[in-house]
Amino acid sequence: MTIRQKLETAFLPLMLLSWMVLLVSTLLHASPAAASRFGIPPNWITLTAQAVFVAAVFGYQRAQPNLLRGTDFVGLLRRLVLGPGLLATVCVGLHLLERVVQFKHAATDRTFFAIVYTVNLGLFVIFLAFTNYAWRSLVLFRASERLQREWLWFEVLLGVTLLFRLISWQFPLYFTLPVLGALAFFGVYLSGNQKWVAYLNRRQKLEAVLLQGAILMSMTIFVAYFLRIEQDPRLVAPASQHAFLVLTVFFATFYAVMGLLVTLFNLPTAGVFEQKREEILSLQRLTQLIQRGQTEEEVYAMLFDSAVQTVEADAAWLDILEEDTLTTYQRHNIAEADSVAIRRLLADYNLGQIEYLNNDLNNSSGFRALGLEFEALIVMPLRSTKRNYGTLYLLKRQRQGFDRENMSILQTFTSQTVLSIENLQLMARSIQNERVQEELKIASSVQDSLIPKNLPTDNWFEISSHALAAKEVGGDFYDFLHLPGRRLAILIGDVSGKGVTAAFHMAQMKGIFHALMQENPLARSEREKFPVPSKFMSMANTALVHCLEKSSFITASLYIIDYEHGGFVFARAGHCHTLYYHSIKEEVSYFRTAGLGLGIIRNESYERHIKNQFYDYNPGDVMVIYTDGIVEARAADQSEYGEERLKQMLERTYYLSADEIKTQILDDLAEFSRGQPIHDDQTLLVIKFRASQPEPGI
Amino acid sequence: MKVTQQASDNILTLILDGELDASSSVLLDTELAKPEILNYQKVLIDCQRLNYISSAGLGVFISHLQSFQDAGVKLVFFNMQEKVHNVFEILGLDALMTIVPSAAEATAI
Repeated sequence: MTIRQKLETAFLPLMLLSWMVLLVSTLLHASPAAASRFGIPPNWITLTAQAVFVAAVFGYQRAQPNLLRGTDFVGLLRRLVLGPGLLATVCVGLHLLERVVQFKHAATDRTFFAIVYTVNLGLFVIFLAFTNYAWRSLVLFRASERLQREWLWFEVLLGVTLLFRLISWQFPLYFTLPVLGALAFFGVYLSGNQKWVAYLNRRQKLEAVLLQGAILMSMTIFVAYFLRIEQDPRLVAPASQHAFLVLTVFFATFYAVMGLLVTLFNLPTAGVFEQKREEILSLQRLTQLIQRGQTEEEVYAMLFDSAVQTVEADAAWLDILEEDTLTTYQRHNIAEADSVAIRRLLADYNLGQIEYLNNDLNNSSGFRALGLEFEALIVMPLRSTKRNYGTLYLLKRQRQGFDRENMSILQTFTSQTVLSIENLQLMARSIQNERVQEELKIASSVQDSLIPKNLPTDNWFEISSHALAAKEVGGDFYDFLHLPGRRLAILIGDVSGKGVTAAFHMAQMKGIFHALMQENPLARSEREKFPVPSKFMSMANTALVHCLEKSSFITASLYIIDYEHGGFVFARAGHCHTLYYHSIKEEVSYFRTAGLGLGIIRNESYERHIKNQFYDYNPGDVMVIYTDGIVEARAADQSEYGEERLKQMLERTYYLSADEIKTQILDDLAEFSRGQPIHDDQTLLVIKFRASQPEPGI
Repeated sequence: MKVTQQASDNILTLILDGELDASSSVLLDTELAKPEILNYQKVLIDCQRLNYISSAGLGVFISHLQSFQDAGVKLVFFNMQEKVHNVFEILGLDALMTIVPSAAEATAI
């Protein structure tokens, strides 16, 4: 416990003790009977007791927690009236009681009178201390450090005046008066700190005025009592602590009067403050709406209501421009004909799209001719840097009804509104985007289902496949079809372009493949039951003519492998050359055959541009079929993977299984194009022929 | 991609510079789609600086092939780089379009 805390706990007992001393000494003075027995105490005891009592009360009050809670100024005043104000009532009550007692027993006994006097003195001091420290919390509300230091000096100097009466030497008047005057002036100076009044609204200000009046009344009661008592011949006690009490009474009264006047004079402007508050609240409401992401209609309605309320317009309307059509969104106290007339007039004056304030409409002949009841007009466009959203019109019957302040607050409203509208539109767009993304995902999974998952298996060959689209959906495709007579048809292809269009044509090509590879029941020979690859291509070309746009084309290769006889036939329609490992020759090479892509020539002459190629394969031969996404894959230096590197890869890996060959090629490709984005769909099929084995069970 | 034009008598020469991909092919397409281009006897395409041609680039030539033939305008490519020529060849376009090694041969046709 610090000395300060110890001192603070000592205040209350000290207060009681000194008051008891005061009471006893006063009683001794008042009652000659008691005085004759105990003797009259010297004056200095009374004065010291008084000084100690006053100091203890003020010290006790000073140590109490700040009376002001938050910014509840009215609450502080109310407590001041209810607490110490009650003391004043008690004081009056005691005084009246004493009068009644005196009246009934007109004795010369002054004991009761002395008790009342001492009690009232105590109450008065407590009242003063409470009031002073209430004022302190108001003076020091948001005070600078300098002001806090000044207040401390004020307290110290007041404390010094307590000592005045303790010194037996009487100061000459020409010394005390200026000192007291200076201190009083100090109090006046401090009374100028009435910042708190600004924080009250109109209703609170009214209440504050009443409460301050009540406090002043309590003060008057005390002062009147003591002024009266001073003249009373029955008062035998030495005069009280004059200088200190007068100064504190003066300060407390002056501060209350100042506060009262400041509050009173602030009353007329309270409305303006409230309006500013309302404007800020409207702004906040607008901002909150933005964050809640309401509809455009609601935002416009909010703007309209806030604007009309804030500037207290008598009439208003809001035009919204949507895709070059102007619609009147909201209307308030104005006929459509009038709004149309005003709009037209403004357009004639070339004022339609700019901020415009006219406070004296009848000064302009155009407006006078309209015969409107309005005298002031604000035109406020809703505009962002990119586009114009509409215009807000506000009207007032009063001349000079609007001011520049109104304009700036409306500017804030409209820019907030435009911001929120643009936010909403952005949000709508991103939702739309998300939906498209979602649909692309669906397209992607649909397309994925078009690519065969189960590769044909047989003990004559092995197949391994890989497909990767550059975007969600791609234009590469491959498919297998088992034909009767132990034959297998393999189709691979690439639609020019990428993305959704390519994916559509890819699906189309798959349909064409399955449609054309049906057994023809009218065929005369076994050979004609299924179209040979070149025939397939020319039929596919004819089928595609009507649905492929002019600049699109499809490249494809169709292989029909007859593993009964160990041979295959294929046709290449502009597709990448087939890479082949010949196990007998132990050599890797491309089948460089001629053949035109599908959809390039759109008539019968196409047939002349496509050829069949026959080949008898041997066990151990490897066929690598791919799309241009593989050979045109790029490295960081923009060079292409190329046919040559692919060929070298097969030369190194032909002896492995189909799966392993595929993996090795893909690994090499990934190594080559490391860090580069895939710019085209990639498809790779590896087919390895095995030694012919009899079908199990035959 | 840059397309430069040189017109003389009945011959229009288009000099292609750069990569002809999906975005730059739009530029070339607007050039070839102009109706006045069909008034020339010959349209020569200088491919010396053409480093790359994508399927979209090929699509531009393919889409105008028929209208050129119908109007009797000869479309001749010359100075073609090996890898670009390879692309034409794989697709089978070398059989449909006239591709010659030099400018002299192109004008001689």
